[in-house]
Amino acid sequence: MTTAPNIEGIMLFEQPFARVPYENYRKVFRASQKNIEKELGALQTAAADLARKAQSGAVSQEDATKAVDGMLKRAENLKRKLGELQKNAGTPTLGVMRERLELLASVESMQSASSPEFDRWADTRLDRWLTDWALRSGKERTARKLAQARGIERLVDLELFSEIRRVEEALKRHSCTEALAWCSENKTALRKAKNPLEFELRLQEFIELARDRKLMDAIVYQKKHLVQWQETHSAQIQHASGLLAYAPGTTCSPYKRLYDLGRWETLVRSFRLAIYNLSTLPTEPLLHLAMYAGLASLKLPACYDHETKNVDCPVCDPDLGLLATEVPFSHHFNSTIVCRLTGKIMNENNSPLAFPKNGHVYSKEALEEIAAINDGMVTCPRTKERCHYTELRKVFIS
Amino acid sequence: MDASLKELAKLEKLASSSGSSKGKSPSIDDSIDSLLRSLREAKDSIQSGAATPDSFSSLSKKVESSKKDIDERQKEVYNSLARFGKALDKRFTAPLPSYQPMFTSPEAVVALERTVAAHFLRTGQFETAETFIEESGVDIYPELHTHFLDLHQIITALKAGNIAPALEWTGRNRAFLEARASPLEFYLHRSQYIRLLLATHPPNVPTALAYARANFAPFYIRYDAEVNRLMNCIIYLPIARLQASPYADLASPTLHLDLEPMFAKEYCANLGMGRQVPLRVVGDIGGGGALARIEKGRKVMRERKSEWSQSDELPIEIPLPVENRYHSVFACPVSKEQSTEQNPPMMMNCGHVITKDSLQKLSKPGGRVKCPYCPEESNLSTALRVYF
Repeated sequence: MTTAPNIEGIMLFEQPFARVPYENYRKVFRASQKNIEKELGALQTAAADLARKAQSGAVSQEDATKAVDGMLKRAENLKRKLGELQKNAGTPTLGVMRERLELLASVESMQSASSPEFDRWADTRLDRWLTDWALRSGKERTARKLAQARGIERLVDLELFSEIRRVEEALKRHSCTEALAWCSENKTALRKAKNPLEFELRLQEFIELARDRKLMDAIVYQKKHLVQWQETHSAQIQHASGLLAYAPGTTCSPYKRLYDLGRWETLVRSFRLAIYNLSTLPTEPLLHLAMYAGLASLKLPACYDHETKNVDCPVCDPDLGLLATEVPFSHHFNSTIVCRLTGKIMNENNSPLAFPKNGHVYSKEALEEIAAINDGMVTCPRTKERCHYTELRKVFIS
Repeated sequence: MDASLKELAKLEKLASSSGSSKGKSPSIDDSIDSLLRSLREAKDSIQSGAATPDSFSSLSKKVESSKKDIDERQKEVYNSLARFGKALDKRFTAPLPSYQPMFTSPEAVVALERTVAAHFLRTGQFETAETFIEESGVDIYPELHTHFLDLHQIITALKAGNIAPALEWTGRNRAFLEARASPLEFYLHRSQYIRLLLATHPPNVPTALAYARANFAPFYIRYDAEVNRLMNCIIYLPIARLQASPYADLASPTLHLDLEPMFAKEYCANLGMGRQVPLRVVGDIGGGGALARIEKGRKVMRERKSEWSQSDELPIEIPLPVENRYHSVFACPVSKEQSTEQNPPMMMNCGHVITKDSLQKLSKPGGRVKCPYCPEESNLSTALRVYF
């Protein structure tokens, strides 16, 4: 029996895989656009200026040379910058996009989920999930080692997580600068998602100024950075203004809360959620999501009964069984009867037979084999009931 | 993925600096180069004194037109990028679901780390395993490492055609293998015999026969037919003839290659582990449709505004491949309920099985029950509890 891989089920997991490098390329494009606007804008002004001065006859040969030299420098500078950007970021990112899309396209064309190609594909996928899991849980050395050993560096987002770590470490040092820089890089996307991370960071910087009792600076800061959020966050801004009156040692709880250093932890979490959100990464590791669904599909009460454990069953493993306590049991409308002797599923061609007294059921195949070497006698391995093969009762499962 | 790949190809062409002919507007590189040429010409004419006010205004126009060209090109790239993004949107319509954080309790963290460590070891990734164990500080059962290193070395030797380490292991675990009726040891010898037979040209029959005499005797009782085939195949040598003979299967490389998974399976079974890599099994099921189905089920439930009747059980059945059904499940054909210890499966005289509750509901006074699946009538008291 060959069944093609379930593409819909597979692709549900792959959106971030395709989208992260796309977002990266958009960043590269924005950087190139910034450079172009800056240099060409200046060139334009310089050229227009020169032309105007020349018209009115107020330009010396020396000034003209100087102006054109300046323009040459700018144009050369732009060419070099764009070239470097393309070489160091643009082309490699396009390469990653291609490699990932081709990997996804390859599974779409596979005929069988039991083929060696699919087996390799699924191996790589598990390696990718494990890398993602290791990166999210702060095991960066494992992630790098795994990615390198399996040759999947371009298939995992090591850089994204390096950036996350860099910003988070800064937040843990109580510095918002790095996180704010990230916010300004992703301003449009954050605004579109109505993500208030930037406001929260600005508010924190204000709180820190109040904590240090630099009240004049705090007021200036508030005018410069907080007032622009008036429309959506006026209550919070007003609340924060109270800090100008209340010093850090205050016991007044609304203000004590604002001074709480635990806010920094919250910022770390908010930042992580924001960056996951922008990259369409789920908040839970991909490995967790796959395990949730996989364990729930397999989990049966029989997995937790010593009598009915099966070494081949993943949920019967003590560690996976413990993890599976967090997921629901599987549900079945149809019966599946597995032979305890052969591990094979019983059906019309290999029908179930029951011992007449104790009612223990095994497959015809297994019992026939036992009967063949025991002069037609069969013994139940669990109850030791013994009878002739012909005394066994045929069981009908509908 | 075809649509996305097509858009990507267009984007790649636009982005490459050499492909100036590919876009509607000239490449940015070309535009800047042309601007640079004009600037250098302007400089030359200034220095030679040939510059007029008009040449400055034409230079200004040149800057304007270059900027326009470059803006055009950037717009093309931007549009292409947007089209690519749209193609992705179309391909990936469903976002990944967001779940509450899971596996966060200290016990769960340890269980998952142990699972991952065992996974690395079992799949032969020893260096990664070492890094991981060091970095996470996970406490694994120390012999696990030794066992898997041993397994890995044996498999590596098998890959290289050296069966000695594998045979040494089967020798030590002969009783275990016999209890499982595993042909592993015999197959190792068979592989070696065939290798000796086909290794040289012309075939070195005496060496192979000497090997057979020395090693096949204990297996003759169980594998007499196969041993006979191994002897008979000699008359079809050399290999080219063997491949076209009734013994072609003996010339196939799978005879040797199949030993690796077979050995790994027996080795793991001896350690009390399953035949498949557990994390792969779980991941393949979860990532092969189960999560999509669970999410669909959830959505339907939400739309109907009904809660799951049993929150600790999935509301839908996830179909599993035959090789991933490890336990018997009996669902009563009458009530559709899964059997339990309190409501066990009962077999009527006719052999049909339903759960005890259903049986009782169907019974008439005096305990008579008519089977819902055949004409036979029997009595409650004669129904036999069955165990799968």
